[in-house]
Amino acid sequence: MQEIKRKYVVPGDKVIEGNFRPLMNVIKAGNSIIATRIGIAETGRDGVKVIPLSGVYIPRVSDIVIGKIIDHSSLSWEVDVNSCFSAHLPAQDVFGRDFSPARDDMGRQLAIGDLIAARIIAFDRTRDPMLTIQDKDLGKIPHGELLKISATRVPRLIGKRGSMIQTIEQATQTRILIGQNGIVVIMGRNLDGIKLATRAIRMVEEEAHTANLTQRVKALLNVPDSPQAEGSSIIQTPNNQKDEEIQSTIEEVEEEIEGEKI
Amino acid sequence: MSQAKNLIDESGRRTDGRTADELRQIKITVGVVKNADGSAFIEFGRNKIIAAVYGPREVHPKHMALPDRCILRCRYHMSPFSTDTRKNPAPSRREVEISKVMRESLEPALILEDYPRAAIDLFVEVLQADGGSRCAGITAASIALADAGINMRDIVSACAAGKIDNKIVLDINDTEDKEGGADMPVAYMPHLEQVTLLQLDGILTPEQFNECLDKAIGGCNVVYEIQRQALMQKYFGNETELKEVQ
Amino acid sequence: MSSSKRSTIIVEHLRKQQMWDAISKGKRLDGRNLNETRPIEIEQDIIKKANGSAKVKLGNSEVVAGVKVETGEPFEGLENKGALILSAEVLPTASPYSEPGPPDEETVELARVVDRGIRESHMIDLDKLVLIPGKIVYTIFVDCSVINTDGNLFDATSYAVVSALVSSKLPIFEIQDGRVVDTGNSQDPPITTIPISITTVRIGDVVILDPTAEEEACMDARITIATNSNGQYTAIQKGSTGAFTVEQIKKAAEIARIKGEEIRTKLKELPKTG
Repeated sequence: MQEIKRKYVVPGDKVIEGNFRPLMNVIKAGNSIIATRIGIAETGRDGVKVIPLSGVYIPRVSDIVIGKIIDHSSLSWEVDVNSCFSAHLPAQDVFGRDFSPARDDMGRQLAIGDLIAARIIAFDRTRDPMLTIQDKDLGKIPHGELLKISATRVPRLIGKRGSMIQTIEQATQTRILIGQNGIVVIMGRNLDGIKLATRAIRMVEEEAHTANLTQRVKALLNVPDSPQAEGSSIIQTPNNQKDEEIQSTIEEVEEEIEGEKI
Repeated sequence: MSQAKNLIDESGRRTDGRTADELRQIKITVGVVKNADGSAFIEFGRNKIIAAVYGPREVHPKHMALPDRCILRCRYHMSPFSTDTRKNPAPSRREVEISKVMRESLEPALILEDYPRAAIDLFVEVLQADGGSRCAGITAASIALADAGINMRDIVSACAAGKIDNKIVLDINDTEDKEGGADMPVAYMPHLEQVTLLQLDGILTPEQFNECLDKAIGGCNVVYEIQRQALMQKYFGNETELKEVQ
Repeated sequence: MSSSKRSTIIVEHLRKQQMWDAISKGKRLDGRNLNETRPIEIEQDIIKKANGSAKVKLGNSEVVAGVKVETGEPFEGLENKGALILSAEVLPTASPYSEPGPPDEETVELARVVDRGIRESHMIDLDKLVLIPGKIVYTIFVDCSVINTDGNLFDATSYAVVSALVSSKLPIFEIQDGRVVDTGNSQDPPITTIPISITTVRIGDVVILDPTAEEEACMDARITIATNSNGQYTAIQKGSTGAFTVEQIKKAAEIARIKGEEIRTKLKELPKTG
């Protein structure tokens, strides 16, 4: 088991001295590694990073995000992805290569105010993020309870291999879509279940940095805190199939990113 | 130059009862403006100042964006009721100058290359002013920037020192500023040990200058501890030591 | 010149749909009833350098008002009255959409509507604030800084102004040898009535009280109505681009009178209210 040292830091704090590799949200200054954000600093075999606890979502290629259509030109939709840049969804992505503005009505496919689950396919220092909704499980989200959390808490909300979010889903009989950009949509027929899921998500958001969070969430949900906890049967919503796949897609992406970092 | 007034009495007490090296009371609350990405409210003596940060965010107008880094825009403004006589709400030349030096005191601490083509907007609003408002503003702004999750090399701490009755004192208030002999605001990055703001109004001998600067830096280090405490309190509550995180 | 513009906040269809569904059942998205205001928090005397001040939180809308008293010339045509000058600024801290700069038409409207509610009700007896008729009078400046906005700035700002005025201490000026002198003493302001502003908006056929920013982004029309301590109407402003039926206006006026009295009672209970 690799030894990881952790501590709370604010910008300017020295995380550690010595010849360590700076990984994320840290800089090298002389012989020390300095934190550049508020968060939890982790020093491991592979280097030093700070898991941030605040900050606007910065787009990353491959991320699944939930965005809101806010405008369209003749060639693309402009999408608010709760970030420092607006994203663009090209009309060709929806209509195909032979898209013609004269014939294809963009407003009918996706109108201003619509919510979509999309994947970021391009983003770099020179241009705004570009989206696709062509993969399975992506596209317009027709209904659900909308919630915004800090994007920095999304990994904690998902949990290791989706454990945290699945615990919440099963206990409240809901399906929960999570965008890496901090936008969350809760779907379900049971109003009380949706309310409870909302409370659980808020609890994770507020206490993401603390110990024993999983226990407290389970207590809130009235779920026994044992490894063999029985989940209640998953409610069959029309989008069930889609949501499971979005969920697993999100997890795969998470793991890919974890892989890249380490 | 005003008449010699007794700003320090025989026992070394100033008009508000402080000794030469004493800072006024400082209280900082983090995250007070709900809509902002980061914010802080500071009470520094009788100064009451709000700092709010929006960013990184899209630049409007687009042509102002820089291709390789973020732009920082800063507005220091005083509410009309913040001063002894009511102040006209339109920006004065003093506010324009302070906006500029404030921006220049914070930019060195920000890693702006991490956010190309974006903007960070910082708004500092003085609700009540009582001498040293620019230092208090910079101190609050620094916290607001950290609260917003902007990558920073260091926190920026600010404090002024000055001369009253020919003695160098720390953190001068409004009366001491008006009646005293010099006012030197300083902003400082405590870990990197670098000065990012330095101004002087008044007359100082070379010895007094050195003493004043050293005293102000000492004040900045004290201010830093309060800033750090406020951030830790907001984010980590009473747990300053990290326990096992799952 | 005033021109139509796109709504700054684009509300998701999901949310709009939920809002309409909830409202048709008599509830709002934050759980309130149609005629319920958000929690109101008032702190007075927070700016010691001002003659009076108050900070009001109406839900998440937050406004600070400060009163500064000086002397000056009376307004033309009002030679025997003190001068009351009210202005407001929506600080760039208030929302991602607020920009620094001279007040835009919405901010100007805000200041003028709040002013009207205070002035037309004669809340301050300006006849009592004259030093030399036609030449020197008390000038009361009330300045408002909106720190955070979540809808209904008309009411939030109005409550801040009223709370600041009732708790203020005016200097007592005198004329000595033809010049104005501050005697160093202070007096309570001459308050005759407590005007309360109530804002309602129409969404579809339903009229709701104290809108959040999200509800304002979905509204068809808005009306702000101020009443005095006698339940009389003293200032009204209809806003936004939709229309009201006469019935809806009368209902809004009735709500303004009843709710106005509730909030007036709450203000009177504040420790620093004269």
